Amino acid sequence: MIEIRDLTKKFDDFTAVDHLNLTIGTGEFFGLLGPNGAGKTTTISMLSTVLLPSEGEIRIDGVKLDRKATALKRKLSVITQEYSMRQDMTMEEVMEYQGRLYFLPRNVIRERTQELLEFVGLAQYRKRVVRHLSGGMKRKLMVCRSLLIEPEILLLDEPTAGMDAFARRQMWNLLRQLHSRGITILLTTHYIDEAQTLCDRVALINQGKLETVDTPSALILELGEYAVDEPDQDTLKTRYFPDREEAISYLRQAGEEASMRATTLEDVFISRVGRGLASQRSRKR
Amino acid sequence: MGILTVLWEKWVEFKRDFYKITMAAMISPMMYLLIFGMGIQTTSHGEPYLNFLIPGIVSMSTMTGSFSAVAQNMSVQRLYEKALDQVMVSPTPLWQFILGQIIGGSLRGFYAGGVILLLTLPIKTGLVFNGWSVLIMLLNGTVFATIALVLSFLAKSYTDAPRFTAYIITPMSFLCNTFFSTETMPGGFRQIVNALPLSQTSAMMRQVAAGAAPDQRGFLILFAYLIIFSCIAVMFIYKKKNL
Repeated sequence: MIEIRDLTKKFDDFTAVDHLNLTIGTGEFFGLLGPNGAGKTTTISMLSTVLLPSEGEIRIDGVKLDRKATALKRKLSVITQEYSMRQDMTMEEVMEYQGRLYFLPRNVIRERTQELLEFVGLAQYRKRVVRHLSGGMKRKLMVCRSLLIEPEILLLDEPTAGMDAFARRQMWNLLRQLHSRGITILLTTHYIDEAQTLCDRVALINQGKLETVDTPSALILELGEYAVDEPDQDTLKTRYFPDREEAISYLRQAGEEASMRATTLEDVFISRVGRGLASQRSRKR
Repeated sequence: MGILTVLWEKWVEFKRDFYKITMAAMISPMMYLLIFGMGIQTTSHGEPYLNFLIPGIVSMSTMTGSFSAVAQNMSVQRLYEKALDQVMVSPTPLWQFILGQIIGGSLRGFYAGGVILLLTLPIKTGLVFNGWSVLIMLLNGTVFATIALVLSFLAKSYTDAPRFTAYIITPMSFLCNTFFSTETMPGGFRQIVNALPLSQTSAMMRQVAAGAAPDQRGFLILFAYLIIFSCIAVMFIYKKKNL
């Protein structure tokens, strides 16, 4: 279990993460959603101990996580948003370096490297230097690297960024497989549909603060399961309804161009984050 | 175990860039030896100037070899490639990572100095190089690898590494007993320069080259630098809020 208590990260006067409290259960697939600059990557960086918190703490299975916690770190693996690996190493060397950092025997490193690179279709490029790989290939290599160590907790910061639709679906299937094996997954993503499809629960954060945390279906239910989109000059206004009849009744009164659909997590995100941004603007005034 | 991982990484880098590393280690020192030692024929302390110059050039090569191996590599890994994140997340104890970097940097410095020693072997100088020389070169390498580590943690961009070389390594190369004795320097300035690690290394290398035992004070000063900068490096990697 991951417990995040009053986690705060300040960079001079700027507060990137502001007293964040979260509990992520063992084996849970948890999504962290928020607009750009919400503090998602900073939170992942603190979970991976690259950044140390200004206040608060992270506990994993009751033990405080810090840079000395080598036993805890054995359980963790991270896929960062940036391609954080030696650009002058070959794929094989990147994998071997990772295996050695986690004290895996050489034969295990070789076997798993072969399996993983074959699985993502990169085995034929194993001697290629990272610098000469495409963005998508680097992303796949990072996935292979993080899975080499068979982690208990997987931290994923925008893992499908830069991937084409086919590769994204491949990644989703892989993450589902890992989740079914009982791995705890914390995912940050810009693709809301990704979070809705994959995550057991999601947290919405904005300006470093937690807006809400619940299952995607509960958040949708709270907003209203049915959405009616009405074009209004150059914009699209959306109204949400808790039951179908109410939505249909509104649709009949609305113009011909109005349409009804199921509410998505993206609606929840836009509604919550939009409200948050609006209230910040009014506070500034 | 973690130390061996870092040494393996350094070995991969060394194998791949063997020619570049070797050429970089040779060119400047050989130019100095050819121009100052063999081109301009002069004497120093009653001996051919080349006899004074070779131990100094070997010390300087050890310094630049170890410093650049660590400073450039770590700055790029930390700030550009973000490859240090891979280490920070891993269960490898971070003190072992630091120690691996220091040993790896020292070996690169030793290699750079060793190349110069090999190249000057055919010149019949009568200079002595023995186990003491090896020990001094390795110790000098560890000192400058440790200084490089600390500076790379302080770097704000990866272009800072060449600046560190310009501000620290280049002045030390010219002032610290490499090309001329510090004896001729004015009082206070001489004491400051003499307290710098390269001055001590060059002095000890020259003592050994002349067939004498190295001054034990030199070892003490180098060890003091090593301990102080190692502690700072370990403190940075465990305590620095934003790596």
